[in-house]
Amino acid sequence: MTTEKHAMGKSMKRKEDPRFLQGKGNYIDDINLPEQLWMALVHSPYPHANIKGVDSSAAMQVPGAVAVVTSKELNAYKVGWLPTFHGLDKQMVLADGKVLYQYQEVAAVYAETREAAYDMAELVDVDYEPLPVMADPYKSMTDEVILRPDRANATNHIFNWNVGKKAETDAALEASEHVVKQHIKFQRCHAAPLEPCGCIAEFDVMGRLQFYVTSQAPHVYRTALFLVLGIPEDKIRVISPDLGGGFGNKVPVYPGYVCAIAGALVLKRPVKWIETRTENMTSSFARDYHMDIEIGATKEGKVTALKVNTVADHGAFDAAADPSKYPAGMFGIVTGSYDFPNAYANLDAYFTNKMPGGVAYRCSFRVTEASYAIERAMDILADELNIDAAELRRKNFVQPEQFPYQSPLNFIYDSGDYEKTMDVALERIGYKELLKEQAEKRARGELMGIGLSTFTEVTGAGPSKHFDILGIKMFDGAEIRIHPSGSGIIRTGTKSQGQGHETTWAQIVAEELGLDPQNFLVEEGDTDTAPYGLGTYASRSTPVAGGALALAARKIREKARKIAAHVLEVSEHDLEWKDYKFNVMGSPGKSITMQEVAFAAYTNPGDNEPGLETTLYYDPPNMVFPHGTYVAVVDVDRDTGETKVRRFLAIDDCGTIINPMIVEGQVHGGLTEGFAIAFMQEIAYDDEGNNLSTNFTDYLVPTSLESPHWETGHTVTPSPHHPIGAKSVGESPNVGSPAAFVNAVIDALSPLGVKHIDMPLTREKVWSAIRTAEAQAAD
Amino acid sequence: MKLEYNGTEQVPLGKDAVWAFINDPQKVASCLPDVKTVTVHDDKNFDAVVSIGLGPVRGSFKFKITLEPQEGGNRMNVKISGGGFGSVVDLLAGADIKDNGDNTTTLDWSGAATMRGPIATVGGRVLDAQAQKLIAGTFANVKTRMAELG
Repeated sequence: MTTEKHAMGKSMKRKEDPRFLQGKGNYIDDINLPEQLWMALVHSPYPHANIKGVDSSAAMQVPGAVAVVTSKELNAYKVGWLPTFHGLDKQMVLADGKVLYQYQEVAAVYAETREAAYDMAELVDVDYEPLPVMADPYKSMTDEVILRPDRANATNHIFNWNVGKKAETDAALEASEHVVKQHIKFQRCHAAPLEPCGCIAEFDVMGRLQFYVTSQAPHVYRTALFLVLGIPEDKIRVISPDLGGGFGNKVPVYPGYVCAIAGALVLKRPVKWIETRTENMTSSFARDYHMDIEIGATKEGKVTALKVNTVADHGAFDAAADPSKYPAGMFGIVTGSYDFPNAYANLDAYFTNKMPGGVAYRCSFRVTEASYAIERAMDILADELNIDAAELRRKNFVQPEQFPYQSPLNFIYDSGDYEKTMDVALERIGYKELLKEQAEKRARGELMGIGLSTFTEVTGAGPSKHFDILGIKMFDGAEIRIHPSGSGIIRTGTKSQGQGHETTWAQIVAEELGLDPQNFLVEEGDTDTAPYGLGTYASRSTPVAGGALALAARKIREKARKIAAHVLEVSEHDLEWKDYKFNVMGSPGKSITMQEVAFAAYTNPGDNEPGLETTLYYDPPNMVFPHGTYVAVVDVDRDTGETKVRRFLAIDDCGTIINPMIVEGQVHGGLTEGFAIAFMQEIAYDDEGNNLSTNFTDYLVPTSLESPHWETGHTVTPSPHHPIGAKSVGESPNVGSPAAFVNAVIDALSPLGVKHIDMPLTREKVWSAIRTAEAQAAD
Repeated sequence: MKLEYNGTEQVPLGKDAVWAFINDPQKVASCLPDVKTVTVHDDKNFDAVVSIGLGPVRGSFKFKITLEPQEGGNRMNVKISGGGFGSVVDLLAGADIKDNGDNTTTLDWSGAATMRGPIATVGGRVLDAQAQKLIAGTFANVKTRMAELG
């Protein structure tokens, strides 16, 4: 095999792909245990109703029926409710006395076969007494109907969160020469991984729980199970197999998991549960932020103040997967790439009769909402002041010499060069020529739009002084063991769902040790073997676990230095690590490779500790702040409202790049999701609380046919505090692209006087906006 | 999703005969379109299994039906609730019964249906046609059966 030493920055092919490309991945539904039962769930058709009774007699007549479980049985075992991740609320496992949203889990059924379980679920007869529905946060905030009488305070208001200086911001807005205001809604979305969630729970002969589950955070699950079930962690093994996408959907602990474990415990047989598509689509969501944004500026376009008031729809439970001290996640990144002297963000969250969640969707804790709001508002400001959108941004960028930059909303940005990245993008897209073409087309009445998004995101949660989930600090562990041959095994507490850790983790370690990345096995997802870590979501793997790996490798290098000194019969202080080997300073040609040191570690370690392995925990000193400039070019058909994305360019700056091909793949995937959010996707509800988007017929996932051609590129501004200077990229395209798409469409429609349209920009919405604008112009 | 309907049927029977008919669960149930089975519990309550075909929602829906005759014999309310495949329909229908004095009776009916679950995602026009079929069909059948009796 050709060696690929010195692997950092190389487009090494993904080591995991042979098994995926041949259909040999090991997903949850590929796993079956002897004697296993199948579980199915009964869901409520009512969004809000009292439960007057559950009759399981007909269900138990199904051949193969084993048991029906409701909240009554779960409450008897004290597992009727779960704590939510940040500990500020609790969540029903099965509906307890009432249902709070449509498709809520009401009962679990257990049967000998999958088919029998589904038949049973159909036949469980639940007697509902419908209650008034609050499907809109602006309605539920009136407290006309209290949705959660189980809570201490009789209100649908969950929490208020705010950051920044209100009085100064109000004064600055008051004094501004120009103020723009816009109500911007980021619709309810769903991460929609192709593989839904599922699990198999088994208590083995020793009474130990073996829990196979689709989890982005296996260690968090194990600790959560300890907290909920009281089973000590040595009696729990959580195994997360190959995952068919996650995007945040596989972070929460779902009721189905608890019911499967409860069933396995009581029925003394393994229990398997695989979500249906509709179950997956109706159990959690992302976003649903209603934002009122105001920017103050001079008439020349220099920003003076930013104020955002947000109403957050959290659904029936406050189950947002945000860190404990950050109930609105990292929404404070809403000042974006711009140097606002004053800023204030205020947010109120409400219960509604909708599914709970507020998980990410390829978004680092509410960063997408924030980034979309500021990038839209900057375009509106540019439009009102009649300044070019790129020039307005250029006037207001945080400058390279300002880093580390203290933002007015309490982040310290690590590094960035926003103008450079934007210039690369404008040059490559041919911005000046596009403006010229647009002017010509506008003269002919054609609708062409150019949309910019020069976003900054915040990732890598995170530093233990600020971040925890269920009280567990958000650092990460890494273990490296080097075998005598110079090959090795790498284990982390993260869990790839397609990010390519089996390749990139090997590249990081190989680079630090001068070994071959092809010869490293990367293991994740088994809590029996992986070091503790908080998992993979919110773009935290490379910033946190990636840092842990680099430092662990360096720790091994220091141990190797002692062995190298012994083998070379010199003092370790005479050795220099250079060109991927230990060289004796002053003696050219006298050196030893890491492979040779590895062999010596097991054959001739001298007085040193034999072997070559280590475990290291990394607590990052700060978050990382990737940024980018995205440009969309669209043509809108005036007659039909059809938008064609003619070009889309993404220039990302994610710091040091480990594997450019994987970065490109991540960006392609994220842009496709961003495109879907901008033009297609919404979890819609009607006034009665009916969820109208429960499958892929109603909630659209673009294929390669719909997706535009993606052009990508990068600039590199390393993070000064990350061990290898890396930031992250998995979420940047989803964070940055919706605004670019919408800005482009609004830019196309701006000659008609259209100022804003909320996503998704379906043909119908764009067509209606054009017709309304034309009718107003005719009046 | 909420849908509302109303209509008028002229029945060639006297008011007393009409009143007797619509107070008989067995007879009312036989007027439901595409009815498969009827189980009468008492003189006001019965269950009916009805075939439904609505886009992807196809199969049998089980409805609980309660007759609520109003005092004076001038109005009958009917409460229908039930469903299948995770969908539910709650229907409140009622008819004012007017004696025309010529041995015919006018049924002035209205109904409001609330759809929940997958059925609500099918789309207003398809649903509307089906609900129309169910409600208008029922009252049309009432008229036909009564005419047969007459």
